[in-house]
Formats: sequence, structure tokens, C-alpha cells
Amino acid sequence: MPELNPIVVEAGIGETGPPQQGVNLSVRQWLRTNLFSNWFNAILTLLGVFAALLMLRGVLNFTFSENREWDAVRTNLRALMTLSYPESQYVRVWVAVGFVMALAGMSAGIWANWGGVSVKRMSTWLMGSGGLFALCVLLREPSVILDSEGKVLRTVEGSLQRESVWAAMTDRLGWWIAAVVLITLGAAIWAWCSEPDRRNNSVAVTTVVFSGLGLLVLSLWLVPYGHYAFADGTYIAVPGRTVAFSTKMPWTVMWLLLFGLYFVGRSFRDTRWQGIVRGSSNFLWLISPMALFWVVLRDPALDYAHVLSTDLPMGLAFGVLGGVLLWALTRSDLGEAGRLTAVGLLGFAVFNWVAAFFGLYPMLQKARISFLLVALAALLAPNFIGEVAKRRQLILGWLSAMALVHYMATMMNTPSTVDIQSSEFLGGLGLTLFVAVIVVLLSFPLGVLLALGRTSKFPIFRMLSTSYIEIIRGVPLISVLIFFSVMVPLFLPDGMELAELAAVLTGYTLFSAAYLAENVRGGLQSVTKGQYEAADALGLTAAQRTGFIVLPQGLRVSIPQLVGQVISTFKETSLLAIIGLFDFLRVANSVIPAQSEFMGVKREGILLVAMIYFFFNFTISKYSQRLERRVGLGER
Amino acid sequence: MSIDDGTTVANDRLAGREDMIVCVDVDKWYGDFQALKGITATIKEGEVAVVCGPSGSGKSTWIRCINRLEVHQGGNIVVDGIELSNDLRNIEKIRSEVGMVFQQFNLFPHLTVRDNITLAPIWVRKKPRAEAESLATELLEQMGIPEQAEKFPGQLSGGQQQRVAIARSLAMEPRVMLFDEPTSALDPEMIKEVLDVMKELARSGITMMVVTHEMGFAREVADRIIFMEGGEIVEVGTPEHFFTNPTEDRTKLFLSQIL
Ligand SMILES: Nc1ncnc2c1ncn2[C@@H]1O[C@H](COP(=O)(O)OP(=O)(O)O)[C@@H](O)[C@H]1O
Ligand SMILES: [Mg+2]
Repeated sequence: MPELNPIVVEAGIGETGPPQQGVNLSVRQWLRTNLFSNWFNAILTLLGVFAALLMLRGVLNFTFSENREWDAVRTNLRALMTLSYPESQYVRVWVAVGFVMALAGMSAGIWANWGGVSVKRMSTWLMGSGGLFALCVLLREPSVILDSEGKVLRTVEGSLQRESVWAAMTDRLGWWIAAVVLITLGAAIWAWCSEPDRRNNSVAVTTVVFSGLGLLVLSLWLVPYGHYAFADGTYIAVPGRTVAFSTKMPWTVMWLLLFGLYFVGRSFRDTRWQGIVRGSSNFLWLISPMALFWVVLRDPALDYAHVLSTDLPMGLAFGVLGGVLLWALTRSDLGEAGRLTAVGLLGFAVFNWVAAFFGLYPMLQKARISFLLVALAALLAPNFIGEVAKRRQLILGWLSAMALVHYMATMMNTPSTVDIQSSEFLGGLGLTLFVAVIVVLLSFPLGVLLALGRTSKFPIFRMLSTSYIEIIRGVPLISVLIFFSVMVPLFLPDGMELAELAAVLTGYTLFSAAYLAENVRGGLQSVTKGQYEAADALGLTAAQRTGFIVLPQGLRVSIPQLVGQVISTFKETSLLAIIGLFDFLRVANSVIPAQSEFMGVKREGILLVAMIYFFFNFTISKYSQRLERRVGLGER
Repeated sequence: MSIDDGTTVANDRLAGREDMIVCVDVDKWYGDFQALKGITATIKEGEVAVVCGPSGSGKSTWIRCINRLEVHQGGNIVVDGIELSNDLRNIEKIRSEVGMVFQQFNLFPHLTVRDNITLAPIWVRKKPRAEAESLATELLEQMGIPEQAEKFPGQLSGGQQQRVAIARSLAMEPRVMLFDEPTSALDPEMIKEVLDVMKELARSGITMMVVTHEMGFAREVADRIIFMEGGEIVEVGTPEHFFTNPTEDRTKLFLSQIL
């Protein structure tokens, strides 16, 4: 049976004269039906094409203008990526990137089933890009004439003196050749696979991706991109040679990791290890942001003595003693005593915070958080009374919660390399990505919990979540960030330090969770009453009902909003600049223009930054469309 | 009220069987509105009871009280010896013993047919996955749709969906099956395929309580027909009694409208 094509199924909804999507039309028919169906559409199409060409011309003239100083970007590439992350520690950045590459390769190997790209399709890409090259060469205005000293020549009236159109076209011979080569190559492949028996030839997507990346890496060794760097205040520009060894070697290793681990992953396909490898690679993805955060940011001189003498024993103590307590609280013969204990604990935990506020008695913040968690778990305990398996669930949940919380708290307490006042500081795209990924990852579970709380049938949960969400939504992000970076350290009891970045991450996560909760709530409300009843009638517990029935359906409905939220979280990281962090945009906007070599050169960097932002967000958005289509299958 | 207090079994077949569902004086209010007024009835093990009555008479409310999708305020309901109360454990126990089939199917749209069926056996009954899956295959075969296991509910016809819903309930190996107008949302040509499955089920000896207006079905397999109106049981009797010489005027009126 042929695969159901969702596009075909959806086409025609709300359309009167449906364009025949999903059906193969010849180029001419397609143009006819979609762009030139009547004279009005034809005029619109022509106007649109004209506007697009004008814009392209503007971009080309801007990019290739003699006034552009692309050297400012070239020499500052590293600054844009990681700002002044210390050179001596740089290997840690590569370790982190390498880990992600390896994991990506592994996951692609064990999961990916991307199918193939038809060769014919690729030939159209080649011809298309060749055509685009040619178009760009034609559109760009003739270059300005420079005199022997490299100065622009002006006419008597003062306007710039440009070469003739003919001279411009012949000057750009290299581009013409590139365009012709691409078009010829594409056409040759097209002709080759027009033979009936080759019509369906295709190449695996993985092959295309890996060889494409491989060619890029290879070009680092062969193509004289030039060696540009800005290190220790000196400006290096050596055109006509390949990039520095410290650039091409790591990227080669990265590519090898990606490619190698792909084969490792693939060798586990369809073996009995498949399940385990899939599970562990998913798990690694989940924890890698935290772990890599640690790899990149922690101080090289970590106080292991403190970790061993205080942090570790404390985590263990809470884990074990809390576990024993919870085990006791889930005994079926306990009765009201359990509830009383839980309420007592809650009182104690709340008192700890109040005491801290008045500076009454010192205690590590971690202990306060842990006591609060013990109390909450004890309140939950009655739900787990019953068989041993059920009680064990609670204990396991408790132990993992403790492991996570204590790990995170320890990490936050650790002095980091990224002391903002120092000159050795992570910034740029590295910082932007870190903040975005961690905020999205942490705010997701929190947001889902808040949404569940807001739709819960228990008034107390509903009230707490609603007021949290409404308060946060009433406050601009920027003030939340300022509050957390400036005010929170003042409230912290003695002996507790929170790295500024950690404070900001906390604030941003709490902020983002409130919005996420609202998006998820919209999805949850679309789950019909019948679904709850069916789950109840089958005897599922409330937690199972939520996990298996309500959340999957609710989250699926909220995918578009959730992706929108991810994208805006990513973009709004640029607000970090206001509280003194050096995010990606700030490097382009204020760090580079302040360098004496590139005084005031902003536009180039900002254009690059915009392009990179666009690349990431466009990818996310495309991916989400695929995801929506895939999970939408069951909906019809 | 009627000639019958609802506890007499009018059929020899069931004489001496144990009580499966016992309702005594059950009251249910929605705010000020009383939807059930002192319902008293006993359903025996293996009995097939058909509940009918005009729209709004409280049929759904009653059978939804039996697995506590609705909470009753007065009287007692005992299912298989377990009294329905606020105790969470009793509720979970009863729900895993009582299957329910809804008018709107209520299949889980994000899960395949197979996963719809195996979810509860795996997570509530703690069955090994392989065992649950072979049970699902068996049930789908019994429902006459063995080839639909990998599809999503949205890709099936209404009649097929309702049969999957029946299979999903049966996978919990319940002792009682409740049906709330299982064929009302179906196109006429699909009603028969669902009723056939239900008839077969009735003959297998499971206890069934069926809210339906399909009088042909009632005549063929019901041990008793319970007629409700205005939140009360008006008349109870064997199909023979019910269709040939109903005693109550309200029953006669209803039958004249529906037959
Ligand atoms: N959730 C509810 N809230 C208020 N009234 C309800 C609710 N559900 C049912 N009712 C009322 O209770 C009465 C019985 O309803 P129901 O049991 O659905 O009737 P039937 O299934 O016999 O058609 C009706 O009058 C209906 O309006
Ligand atoms: Mg009803």
C-alpha cells in the first residue's frame, strides 16, 4: 500500500479551486496554475519578482561593497564564538563540541531513517545554484574604481566612479566560470539520469550530509581562506594560505567523531543492543547540557576537598535518610501518622526559609531545598502506599531527584572560569547557545508541571500555579534578569554564592516556564473529557492517565506554540547584554567596533550574527513542521 | 413504583447465581437537579441487562455511577462484593474489573490500535508486553479486525473503532461490561457489525449492562430489560413480558414511540 501523503490529504481544505498539491505538474503547468492563472495574478507575480530582485541587488551591493571590512569578522570569528575564553583552557570547548558531535553521530547511526535524495533532484539543486550565481553576478552594480593607493576615485561632481558594465562582467570571470560549471554539471547529471532505468536513482541523505561536511572540512586544508586571528590584542591577517592549524585540526577531529560514531551507532542497529544504545543516547542528550556546562565553565582549580567533604556526603545523606523515611511513610498500616509527619516536615522546611530570611541560623541553601523536597515527597507518599513495586517507584524517584538537585546545586556553587569581571570569559555564540539550551531544557518540565497544576482539580495547586504564572507574565523579562543578577545575591544567606550566570539562568528559566505553561495549558485543554473517562474506566492511575494520555495529546497540539517559544527564548538571549553578559550579538555590536583596528565597524558582524540566528531558527522551525506532520498521523 | 422492586430475576437461567452489581436506593444530584431517585436493582453474575428509556431519564448517569465516573450521593452500590466509596484503592480495583464502552468510542487517537489495547493490561494489570500483545491479537481476531492492529483510530471506520473500544475493555479481562449507547453514533450500516460482536459476548457468559435503543438486540439476548424515566426505574421484566404486555402506561407510551 502506498504511504498516505499528508499533503494530499490536507489539500483542498477551504480552497475553492484547489492547486493540485502533491501531484507532479510540469514546470509550465505549475507556473500557469499558481502564478499566472489570470492577469491580476500575473501582475502580482511580476511585481513580486521585481521586488525580490531589487532586494537581492541591495544585499549584494552591501556585501561586496568596497566599504565593507569583512576582515573585522574574519579576525574575530573566535571572539564571536567564545569571546575571550582562555586559550590555555580552549581544549575544553573542543571536548564539549566533540561530545555533541559524537552523540549526534551515534544517534544518527542508531535512529536515522532519512531515506534518500533522488539524483535528479540534486542535479536541479546544482543547476539552480549555478543560475543563482549567474543572477547575482548580473545584479550586482559595477565596482568602484580604486587608484593605485587603494582609494576610491570620484567624479568631478563627487559621486563614485565605477567601472563600465562590460568591464564589471568580465572582471567577475571566476564567478561566471563557477556558475557555468555548476549548471553544466547539473545538466549532465540530469541528462544521465533521464534514462528510464536510472530515473529513480538516489543517494542516501546521510551520505549527502556526511560528504558535504567532509568536503567543507577538507577545504580547510586545501583552500587558501587565509589565516586571520585576533589573539592577545594582536591582529593577524595572512591572506593566501590555509586557516590556522588550531582551526582545521579540531574541525577534522569533530568530523571524524561524527562520522566514526555514526558507524558505531549503525553497527548496533537491529542487534539486541539496539534498545540499550537508543535509551542511553537519549539519556546522554538529556544530561549533556548540564555535564557540558560543567566541562566548559568550571574553574580549573576546583575545590575537590569541599566536594568530597561536604557536597557528596550531604547529597548521600539526604538521599539515603529521605529514602528510608519515605519507605516508612508508605507502609499501609501507618494511617494518619504519615500525614502528620509530612505536615510537620513541611512546617520545618518552611521555617528554615523564614529563618534564613531573618538571618536566624545559617544552613547551606542546599539543605533548605532538600528539606523542602523531603516534605513535598512525604506529602505525596500516601499515593504510593501498596505493593513493594509501587513503593520502590517513589524511592527511585526520590533518589534521582536528589542526585539531580545536589549535582546542580554543587555545580552552581562552584567558582567558574566565567567571572564576568575578568578578561577570561566565555561569551559569543557559545554563551548564547548555552543559555538557550539550558533554559529550554529546564523550563520545559517546570512549565509542564505548572500547566498541570493550573488545570489540576486541587484548588491549592491551581491557585499556586495560577498566581505564579500571572505574576511572572506581568513582569518584563529584562526586569526578571536584572532582579536575579543584582537582587538575588543580596538575599542569599552568608556562605552561599551563586555565580552570576547561574543566577541569570535561574531567572530566565523561571520566566520562560511561565509562558511555556500557558502554551501547554492550551494543549491540555484541547484533550476531551472522553479521553479522561476512557483512561479512568480502564483503571489507569491519575499519573498514568496524565503521562500516557493527556500529556502526549496536549503537547502534540501545542507543538507550534512550543517551538515558537523555543525560538523566542533563543533570540531573547540577546537581552543578556543588558545585565553585562557578552552574548553573540553584543560581541558584534560593541566588542568588535571597540577594537582599534576596526573602530566602528558594526554592520558586517551584525549581518553575520543575523544570518546565524536565522540559520538556527529556520532549522528549528523546519524540524518542527516535520515533527508536526509525523505526530499528526494519528489525528485523522 | 412498579410491580417489581428490581431485585427479582425473571429468568430461570440466572437462578442461584451470585449478585454482581447491587444498587440500593441510589440518589444522584447535579446541583439542585436530582438525576437518580432511589435506584434499586440487582444484576446477577452472567446476566445481560438492557437499560432503556427516553433521553434524559438518567440511564448514562446510572451506569457511570457503577464504575464511579460519576459519584452518587445517597444509597449504596456494591460491585462484585466491593462497596463503592471514596477509598481510592477500591475505585481502582473496581475499574479494573469493570469495562466500559462509550457512545463516542473514546479511543486514544495518538496510540495505534494495538497500543490502545495493550496500555491498560501492561500498566494496570502489570502483564508482560509480549503476553499483552498476543492477547490484543487474539481479541482483534475475535472482533473480526485482525489486520488493523498497526493503524491509528482515526484511520478506521466508526464500526471498527467501536469494536476496538470493546477489545480494549475486554483486554483487562473484566467481570462486568458496561455499554452506554454503543451504536448511537454509528451509521446504520455499521450498527450490525457492533451488535454481532456484542451478542457473541453476551453468549460468552460475561455480565453485561447495556444502555441501548436497539430493541432487536434486547429481544434476542437480554435476560432483563430495565425501563427508566425521570431518574427512576419504572418497570423491569423479561423481554417477553416487556414487549408483549408491559404494565405501566409510561412503558407503553415509550414502546409505541420507539417500535
Ligand atoms: N454533568 C451534568 N451536569 C448537570 N446535569 C446533568 C449532567 N449530566 C447529566 N445531567 C442531567 O441529568 C439527567 C440525566 O442525564 P443522562 O443520564 O445523561 O440521561 P440519558 O443517558 O438517559 O439520556 C438529564 O436531565 C441531564 O440533563
Ligand atoms: Mg445517555
